[in-house]
Amino acid sequence: MEPAAADGDARRAEEPAPPLVSLRPLGLDDTDDFMAWASDDRVMRYLKRPLCANREQAVAQIRDTVLGHPWFRAVCVDGGHPVGQVSVWPYADDGGRRANIGYALAHDHWGRGIVAAAIKMVVGRVFDELPGLERLEAVTDVENVRSQRVLEKAGFHNEGILRSYIAGRAGGKAKDAVIYSFLSSDRA
Amino acid sequence: MDHDVLPMPESTSMDTVTLRPFVLADLDAMMAWASDPVVTAFMTWGPYTSRDALLAFLRDTVLPHPWFRAVCLGGAVVGAVSVTPTDDRCRAELCVVLARAHWGKGVATAAPKRAVAAVFGDLDGVERVEALVDVDNAASQRALEKAGFTREAVLRSYCVVKGRLRDMVMYSFISTDPLVK
Repeated sequence: MEPAAADGDARRAEEPAPPLVSLRPLGLDDTDDFMAWASDDRVMRYLKRPLCANREQAVAQIRDTVLGHPWFRAVCVDGGHPVGQVSVWPYADDGGRRANIGYALAHDHWGRGIVAAAIKMVVGRVFDELPGLERLEAVTDVENVRSQRVLEKAGFHNEGILRSYIAGRAGGKAKDAVIYSFLSSDRA
Repeated sequence: MDHDVLPMPESTSMDTVTLRPFVLADLDAMMAWASDPVVTAFMTWGPYTSRDALLAFLRDTVLPHPWFRAVCLGGAVVGAVSVTPTDDRCRAELCVVLARAHWGKGVATAAPKRAVAAVFGDLDGVERVEALVDVDNAASQRALEKAGFTREAVLRSYCVVKGRLRDMVMYSFISTDPLVK
């Protein structure tokens, strides 16, 4: 019979330290890292961005949709190279008061709390960096439970389910979505 | 004891409320609601003070629009209903506006009923018609609910109306939803 452990915690495997997440602008120098997630359908399936099939398409996407973007950041871990992206895009018709937050993370880094940490950082600074911003909004496919958990961890409010909100891929039926928001006034 | 079901005011309106495309000659009828600050209180636009400005809107936005209809009661134009496609091809936004003289008669319910009966056939690819209503606009909320729309969410601080940040209620009618008779 095993002796009772003096300290139950000693039996638990040591948990790895949470990853240190940082955000910085993403440029053409990051193309190869960008490809790691931007070419992966597991990562990109719920985003509106087209999948990058090759390096040329990745360069074009960075040049056309990242460099001039109002607020786009590479997500880095432990001071290393980019492993994902997070972006805030103000809607055209609203004087910059309402913006959509989107994100993608290389599949190898899922399950470590990186995106939730990145979103918390975004929420901590974007209302100051985009003057006039009142409402950050995130729309996720009802099936994208992982993304919903991330937003909840980051303090977003689940406002409800919007039926047939997201256009189906390749002409398929529209999908239901969950809409989340984080207001300027939600900052503690 | 048997109760005869009396016809609701809405059913009378359903018989006489029709939709048709706008023409330039509708300008004066439009001015009746577009210049009324009570009607436009919950709108992001208006009230119009200039006939020329409204004419420009009628000519440049309404006439070429993919789905913009005059709401007619008997022979008179009493309001407008539009369904505007968004950047997402599966969704389009419905807006209804009515002259104040015709509030409370069921026209605000009949117009969206007529719209959803027609628009999915007219606008290719649209599976969802949605409407955003100010949280304080109880009359419009009731009208959409009676027209068969589903209340889905309150979107906080969604847009600015007349200088104030407003919460908006999101309603939807999906192409497969049953039409309300």
